[in-house]
Amino acid sequence: MEPIIKYQDVKKVYGEKTIVEHFNLSIEKGEFLTIIGSSGSGKTTILKMVNGLIIPDEGTVFVEGKDILKEDLIQLRRNIGYAIQGSVLFPNMTVEKNIAYVPNLLNDKKEKTNQAVQKWIRIAGLEEELLNRYPDELSGGQQQRVGIARALAASPEILLMDEPFGAVDEITRGELQREIKRIHEETNITILFVTHDINEAMTLGSKVLVMNAGAIDQYGTPEEIMSLPKTDFVRKLVANSRK
Amino acid sequence: MDLLKEMIDLIIGRKEFFLNLLWEHFYISFSSIVIASVIGITLGIVISEYRGSSKIILGVINFIYTIPSIALLGILIPFSGIGNVTAMIALSIYALLPMVRNTFTGITNVDERVIEAARGMGSTRFQILYKIKIPIALPVIMSGFRNMVTMTIALAGIASFIGAGGLGTAIYRGITTNNTAMTLTGSLMIAILALVVDGMLGFFEKMSGRRNRKKRKVRIILCGGMIALLIIGIAGNMIRSNQNSEKIVRIATKPVTEQYIIGEILKEIIEQDTDITVELTQGIGGGTSNIMPGMQSGEFDMYPEYTCTGWNLVLGHTGVYDESMYSKLRKEYEESYDFTWKGQMGFSNAYALAVSKEVAEKYGLKTCSDLQKVSGQLVFGAEYDFFERPDGYGKMCEIYGFTFKNVRDVDIGLKYQAVNEGKIDVMDVFTTDGQLSKAQVVILEDDKGYFSSAKEGIVIRREVLQKYPELETVFKKLENTVDNEAMAEMNYQVEEGKKDTKDVAHTFLLEKGLLKGAEE
Ligand SMILES: Nc1ncnc2c1ncn2[C@@H]1O[C@H](COP(=O)(O)OP(=O)(O)O)[C@@H](O)[C@H]1O
Ligand SMILES: [Mg+2]
Repeated sequence: MEPIIKYQDVKKVYGEKTIVEHFNLSIEKGEFLTIIGSSGSGKTTILKMVNGLIIPDEGTVFVEGKDILKEDLIQLRRNIGYAIQGSVLFPNMTVEKNIAYVPNLLNDKKEKTNQAVQKWIRIAGLEEELLNRYPDELSGGQQQRVGIARALAASPEILLMDEPFGAVDEITRGELQREIKRIHEETNITILFVTHDINEAMTLGSKVLVMNAGAIDQYGTPEEIMSLPKTDFVRKLVANSRK
Repeated sequence: MDLLKEMIDLIIGRKEFFLNLLWEHFYISFSSIVIASVIGITLGIVISEYRGSSKIILGVINFIYTIPSIALLGILIPFSGIGNVTAMIALSIYALLPMVRNTFTGITNVDERVIEAARGMGSTRFQILYKIKIPIALPVIMSGFRNMVTMTIALAGIASFIGAGGLGTAIYRGITTNNTAMTLTGSLMIAILALVVDGMLGFFEKMSGRRNRKKRKVRIILCGGMIALLIIGIAGNMIRSNQNSEKIVRIATKPVTEQYIIGEILKEIIEQDTDITVELTQGIGGGTSNIMPGMQSGEFDMYPEYTCTGWNLVLGHTGVYDESMYSKLRKEYEESYDFTWKGQMGFSNAYALAVSKEVAEKYGLKTCSDLQKVSGQLVFGAEYDFFERPDGYGKMCEIYGFTFKNVRDVDIGLKYQAVNEGKIDVMDVFTTDGQLSKAQVVILEDDKGYFSSAKEGIVIRREVLQKYPELETVFKKLENTVDNEAMAEMNYQVEEGKKDTKDVAHTFLLEKGLLKGAEE
């Protein structure tokens, strides 16, 4: 089967500094890929290449077999869910408007959009009375849930999530993790999930990508990573996860 | 307390006048605000989208902002003439800075991550702008807007300086005709207008704030209200300018009391004797130098002028002017401008020297040459201007050989008082000064002909005279009807007696038997 996302010899440089180089990776449809690595290792960079927010200096990124630079990027992005790092909501819009953002960009059929909003607040575990609130009237956990619902509202094939559960307490984090896992199982969506928490990476991922200084240290199932860590860096990570 | 009563009487007695000014003020400010908002917000958006241009544009706008308002008006007058249009342009230019700056700041301060979220979800650049950036920047833009509105309403007070309407007219007229109550009333009404509008904006801002769940409704009301105001404004102005669509002459006057009176005299008698409608623009700041361009561009058809001003300032001659040169003056006006002089009313508003009656009697003074003999024992006082001008103090002393004991700078408004109190003995006066008619002073004859003659006359475009020959008859009627004493007396009634210029003009025409009703 053709991979849904494919990086082909990708390179990204900022000034003198090479961030990633010779980056090759294929992701199968329906995968839940967690990307873990130290801070600054290039996780966000890799993620943003999928929806063209970052364009590689060399190499090609294919989505569903097509070179994204030959596609209409605007259209592509509307069909890829994106939960930005810190799940920043639009402060000028109510929860409802936030969630309806992409459906509104895609069509102006009110009813369809309303249905999508209703469906996704339920799936994301939000109460309906929150719909008319503004982001700063929500708790951290509620904001993250809205961020997820917003990313999913147009029922995309691919979901990009950049440390989406960063700033919440342990209990909420656990709930959110269960939620996203359930969503993945129910929808068969392909998820790329950046995290710096090895436990999160292991629990959620069907595949785990370990990044270190702009290169792939190891790519495999959680079990493979756990039992056969390839480098010292991975070993250290895995050791941490057992604590 | 007296002043307060005076103000109240003024407002009640001249309700129409003030309401009209209020309306004009509102109209001028409102138009400028709309123009500045549209251009300012657009510019602010453009430079925030194309940051490269922001430094230059903001620099230019900042620079323009530092030009003093009077100077900016002076710069604009050659291009857009005298009146409302120039005022609106100037006000819009000033109002631009707060709008551009706040729009720019508001937009550039929007959190980068929010913008990236919108971009990552597939918004076009335009969608990011109107769905994200502008709504988030709105409170900052709104605060700039409120500042700008208050500032524009206040600044519109200077519009009258260049012959535009508005409450500044009351301030300016109050200053030039020594009517403090009128000046204060004008200022107070501007302040109140600014406060009320700002209060209303604050209220609407609160109502349409994002915490208010009914904001859609408020927005609709607000938009509806704005559009309604705009339509009322435009319609109102159309009706107002339609009123006089037939035969019109436009008269301008300078900002001095007697010109206000002459303006009213001309208006009343022309409108009585002919079917011409007179549009009177009173008290144009800068006087001749700003009225002449208006005459040349055809914005004005006539204005009262003084012969020596025409000779020296307009035609550019140097040296003393006397009335034997009148026909030459007229000829040069006709050749250079195609304007002519008509209807001299008889008085001359020239410089002269005056001494208190006491001093005159003590030394037996009748002429300036008499004064020379005793000048060593006397103190001379004049306003700053008289000492500075080339045909002023220095040259005068040279010609007459004055050697005053002492010389003093005296404020123009306090000169007469200074003479009364014996602080100065000799002063310069204008021969139609309102205070002359009551003051205990004697004017000394200018026996060496040092001071230029300044007879009043009407400068009129010849084209207008050809179009409306009936004006000739009107001017004829007015010739030699007012001598210096009579003009001084009328000035006095306005400046000290606080009479309305219109009433003084009417009484004058009545007494001269020039009104139709009075003939019978
Ligand atoms: N716009 C940029 N300009 C220069 N350097 C950048 C830029 N964006 C990211 N970087 C650098 O690239 C490296 C990788 O960044 P990133 O992918 O965000 O790391 P992370 O793995 O923490 O998400 C970091 O060292 C970061 O400083
Ligand atoms: Mg990151």
